[in-house]
Amino acid sequence: MDNLGLVFAVLGAIISAAFAGLGSAKGVGMCGEAGAGAVSEDPSLFGKVLILQLLPGTQGIYGLLVAFITLSQIGILGGNPDISVAKGLMYLAACLPMGIVGWQSAVKQGQASLASIALVSKRPDQAGKAIIFPAMVETYAILALLISILAVSGVTGLNI
Amino acid sequence: MAVLQMQKLSICAMKRNRKAILELLQRRGAVEVCDEVEQDSVFEKADTSSACDTFGKNIATALAAIEVLKKYAPVKASMLDSLNGKPIRSENDYYAFEKVSKHIMDTAYEINAHMRRIAEHRAEIIKLQGSIAALSPWLNLDVPLTMKDTADTKVFIGYFPELLTLDALLQKLSEADSALPDVHAEMIGCFQNNTCVFILCKKADAMQVEQVIRSCGFSYPAVSTTHTPSEKTRRLSGQIETLNKEINEAIEAIKGKADVRSELEFAVDYYTMRREKYEVLGRLCQSAHTFVLTGFLPQQVAPVIEAELNAKFEVYVEISDLTDADDPPVLLKNNAFAAPVEGVLESFGLPTKTEIDPSAVMAFFYYVLFGLMFADAGYGLIMVAVCGIILLKFKNISSGLKKSLMMFFYCGISTTIWGFMFGGLFGNLLETVSGTFFGKVVTTPTLWFAPINEPMRMLIYSMAIGVIHLFTGLVLKAIQLIRQKQFLDVLYDVVFWLVIISSLIILLLGTKLFTDMSQMNIVMPAWVSTACTIAAAVSAIGIILTSGRESKNLFKRILKGLYGLYGVTGYLGDILSYSRLLALGLAGGVIATVINQMGSMMGGGVLGAVFFVIVFLIGHTLNFGINILGAYVHTNRLQFVEFFGKFYEGGGRKFAPFTTHTKFYHFKEENKNG
Repeated sequence: MDNLGLVFAVLGAIISAAFAGLGSAKGVGMCGEAGAGAVSEDPSLFGKVLILQLLPGTQGIYGLLVAFITLSQIGILGGNPDISVAKGLMYLAACLPMGIVGWQSAVKQGQASLASIALVSKRPDQAGKAIIFPAMVETYAILALLISILAVSGVTGLNI
Repeated sequence: MAVLQMQKLSICAMKRNRKAILELLQRRGAVEVCDEVEQDSVFEKADTSSACDTFGKNIATALAAIEVLKKYAPVKASMLDSLNGKPIRSENDYYAFEKVSKHIMDTAYEINAHMRRIAEHRAEIIKLQGSIAALSPWLNLDVPLTMKDTADTKVFIGYFPELLTLDALLQKLSEADSALPDVHAEMIGCFQNNTCVFILCKKADAMQVEQVIRSCGFSYPAVSTTHTPSEKTRRLSGQIETLNKEINEAIEAIKGKADVRSELEFAVDYYTMRREKYEVLGRLCQSAHTFVLTGFLPQQVAPVIEAELNAKFEVYVEISDLTDADDPPVLLKNNAFAAPVEGVLESFGLPTKTEIDPSAVMAFFYYVLFGLMFADAGYGLIMVAVCGIILLKFKNISSGLKKSLMMFFYCGISTTIWGFMFGGLFGNLLETVSGTFFGKVVTTPTLWFAPINEPMRMLIYSMAIGVIHLFTGLVLKAIQLIRQKQFLDVLYDVVFWLVIISSLIILLLGTKLFTDMSQMNIVMPAWVSTACTIAAAVSAIGIILTSGRESKNLFKRILKGLYGLYGVTGYLGDILSYSRLLALGLAGGVIATVINQMGSMMGGGVLGAVFFVIVFLIGHTLNFGINILGAYVHTNRLQFVEFFGKFYEGGGRKFAPFTTHTKFYHFKEENKNG
């Protein structure tokens, strides 16, 4: 089959965007439900709860980022699409960390944000500490983003 | 960069000056009252709870009346009003208010009574409307529903649980009883799936007919009136109209009182201040003619307070230094550069007695790290402009909001600087716009290098900044230990770690692994490698020997020491954590590039320009929002976890002075001359 390399590379980009987006949607959604409950009791909490709800959303953005970078590196978004099978498989592998880690870390971060929303509704003055708990989970999404970006850029430079 | 030194204040004065002295202290807002003196045979605490409760009730009444006024006589308020701060009233207004307070509270009670009446009438109207609805299927009946019989006939008024016509009903009845006597039936109306009927029969046949219709499902109506249904409905409507008129009268009465609003707000503040004063009053120890008050106050205002008290009252004032047994509250004082981050520090925890105030050091790193993560000159300029304009225009903002705005102002400056260093102005806006619309590509000025082109280089620098940040934390720990005069601990807990981490890093710089990854070839002279290896070994042994020094058992001590050495991997994790500086900077930059690319999809020309502007506004606003949130959260995380983890725990109690906590007005001193 022609262009098998391109197929794998696009598959990788889509995995990165889709799975990370899936995780973020789930994480942000579960926090939205809890946030609505918190605001129904005390409408003044809206700003704090909104920030906590937004925190798991970053993995979707990162996944999209990696997808964009991959698609532009392989030439589909402007440029000349033509890569070998080996390179295509490497692109697929390079996008996997963002997809898988982004997915799971977004769901877990959503759960941590959920608990933080409960914390803030009980003690609105501790919002600063409440934001830190979900932010700890994001470390791993950032590390995965980093590795995916470095790997994709590295694979582009290869001559195979 | 300091925790203000606190001192202890003790006052003993005549009871008759009690209220005046408390008012003076409340107005100055410089003393935190503490309950130190115990009750004994001479001194007792007065019970002011009933007075506080009365004031609390007045506050609640006034607030409720203000809410009612807000509902029926609203005042136009814009979003920016909250930035205006509270209007200012003078001390004399406070004293003058005492005379009119009863009148104002009576007005508040009146307004609340009107509101209650409106609510009751509204509930009544709903009930009446329900009754009218229940009567509506019976309107065609021109006799009362309760009519049971005449001289010779029996009347059955009720409903069947299905929709029937007259013929269908009569047929149904004959089917039920073949020997049905004569009946006269009339359809009246229907509701839901029921039909309302009027049935007439001879009194002699009453029993039989009743049996028949009951077997067909006849039931008596749920409503009953002694009037005909239409008459009853007319009466109920009349009642509703009367109630509505009374509601409107009450609303007009409330609107008429709208000019009392500012007085009601003043009442809330007046009673709040009095309640706070009485709460402190309840904590004073009083004898027959004197009272005692103890508290904490900052050293720098102590002489002023002492002088004022001595000048105005017959009083004994003693200012003493703190002893070790005291638990003073914490009040921070910093210069204009470091003060804005006090809010962030407070959300983590204020310093305890043994800790220093990290605000100044934290402020520097906060602004730098924020700028590195946000790194876009365009966004930075927007931040500077917005914060600057708000700060210049609204002079009366609350201090907490002002600190936040100052913090974002400095962060904006840092963002702009790093944006120019890394060549980001709304991403690659200049390249895209000049390329699409003008045909000639103008590159954004890059003072240093663009991270997207050399990610590994940026990674190395991010980790270097991380190392600097962590070492600063260790140095601060050393300062804290020196202040506590624990000099040997400085060697064990700080110096060994500084040496081992630095020597390991220098050794790493010379390895092949590093050279391959970073494409930087650092040639390590042999003596440096040997020196570092020896230094690392010596400090490692030092750590193993001293990390577990609380244990008396030598075996346990060595084991704990080995575990302490394992903490080196913790440092590895901490340093790697700073790679988020690269990641977040890249993320923001690439998204901005993508937005610009999408905007330029329609090409040049007027249509393309319009499309570009729309995409620009929407996309960059989104990008700004997401990235500023990320930069704020991750800067906080780096400070709280990596930096504070080296030397700071927090947990101090915030200085809570006896002062005025008003909701609507700000009370200012009259300038007394002489």
